[in-house]
Amino acid sequence: MTEDPAPRASAAGSRRRSPWGRGSSRQLLALPTFGWTLLFFVAPLSILLLYSFGQMNLITFDVHFGWTLDNYRQLNQSLYVHTVVRSVLLSLGATLGCLVIGYPVAYTLSKQQGRIQTLLLIGVMIPFWTSFVVRTYAWVNLLQNGGPVENVLHAFHLSHGSLNVLYSPTAVWIGILYSYLPLMILPLFVSLERIDPGLTHAASDLGASGLRAFRRVTLPLSMPGVIAGCILVGVPATGEYVIPSILGGGKTLMYGNVIADQFFQVGDYPFGAALAMTMMAVVTLFLVVARSGLSRVEDVT
Amino acid sequence: MVRRLPSMVSAFTVLVFVFLYLPIVVVVINSVNADKFLVSWGGFTTKWYAKALNDERIRTDFITSAKVAVASSLISVAIAVAASLWARNARVWSRRALDATTYMRIVLPEVVLATALFIFIRRLHFQLGVTAIVIGHVVFNSAYATVVIQARLATLPISLEEAATDLGASPRRVFQRVTFPLLAPAILVAVLLTLSFSFDDVVSSLFLGGTNAETLPVLLLGLIRISVTPEVNAIAVGVMLITLITFACAAVVATVRGSIGVRSTPQAPDVEE
Repeated sequence: MTEDPAPRASAAGSRRRSPWGRGSSRQLLALPTFGWTLLFFVAPLSILLLYSFGQMNLITFDVHFGWTLDNYRQLNQSLYVHTVVRSVLLSLGATLGCLVIGYPVAYTLSKQQGRIQTLLLIGVMIPFWTSFVVRTYAWVNLLQNGGPVENVLHAFHLSHGSLNVLYSPTAVWIGILYSYLPLMILPLFVSLERIDPGLTHAASDLGASGLRAFRRVTLPLSMPGVIAGCILVGVPATGEYVIPSILGGGKTLMYGNVIADQFFQVGDYPFGAALAMTMMAVVTLFLVVARSGLSRVEDVT
Repeated sequence: MVRRLPSMVSAFTVLVFVFLYLPIVVVVINSVNADKFLVSWGGFTTKWYAKALNDERIRTDFITSAKVAVASSLISVAIAVAASLWARNARVWSRRALDATTYMRIVLPEVVLATALFIFIRRLHFQLGVTAIVIGHVVFNSAYATVVIQARLATLPISLEEAATDLGASPRRVFQRVTFPLLAPAILVAVLLTLSFSFDDVVSSLFLGGTNAETLPVLLLGLIRISVTPEVNAIAVGVMLITLITFACAAVVATVRGSIGVRSTPQAPDVEE
């Protein structure tokens, strides 16, 4: 927060004599990013929207654009409603889990210094460098009946009998929690690291207990990181495809799987498009809520 | 109480690190586990490595993945550098437009992007395959690269470039001699980040590869879904080793460059050799 205003001020001040030439030639630098986004992001999403109102002849595979709402009405079937609800719940559950587990870790990291901190940060990142598919597959091994997790739980008398977790929503939840945890820890770490330690010292000097200083100073100041982490985990997790297809065992499907099935197995593109657009709407809603939360937090701090 | 809380918190952190590394340990152990159903320890073997190395399809897919990763990473970083340099002096509203599109490309669930591009490419009768996968990967990778490079650019004082301009350097020369060396660490981070995102991607590659191109993660997912296939663990360990070696080399290069770059940039090429 303290380092933000300076570059902005210098950027504004330098507009008069930029080293990057003036006028139209410098504007060319914006062409690749906006061109690519327009051509391969905005245009495809627009066609997706068009398709979602279209209809497909299932014999000739021709798509007619008829502005019909049939595809969206079809969503009302219990299979799809259940899948959407399950995806949202699993995603919210995993986001909450990541927050509860990730916060103490990010807090510990922010209290370390120099080389140790760097090493720990790399330690959080390294799992990313092992194949995501194979790491998820390893959970099949860990969670299966008679597997290591069951043995450990038995050893500590935390459960009896078979675990029966694999190929259930719980397994998918663990898989998402595991895979997305670093994405929660990193933004939390950044926001915690920025907090001036003097503020918590001041709070304790004024008589606040450690817990109270944390609750009244550290926690509110780290809210931007909390919200950023929740967005980074919650949004992609809602559309997760790989984890449910490995750990859900074909029974616990999520939204992403249902969409992919429409394209790869059923071949009903307009309905698949309607499913995808609905997911986009759900996610946008989530983002709007999160962003309004963020701006409220930033107003306070 | 006040003193004990942090030690509890750090003990918890250790547990979380165990949680993060547990599956990786399992992958490494199973890559040398002779039990072909991977239910229990069946003795040490290297046959899964041999099997993976001798498999034509695995080799082809590895090369496809590597090509896609390198191409999408280079294009993404080039786009990101241009966009970030532009944004630095752009008007507020156009900078906001860039931020908004960057943000959208990062948070939109990949399934939605992949289906949209799939329909788009089919509609235009363009071919699915390596090029299509690269196009898809660049959409999100260029956004990540933009975030990394903009963050670095925000910490750099523009005065150095202004000084170079005042001393008569052309914009191109300013970029070559001042901006690029200053941005190099961020460019390196962006390259590594986008390489690993692209190499590990499943959803876009699955949709956009069609029948013409298959990447390694797509193959791995297919193998796992059919039956227990121990060689996937050997492949994962192999890829992990390649990744770690690449990153270690990058770190060494960055440190060497960093330590000599501070003192005298012009001599850097000589020292590096």
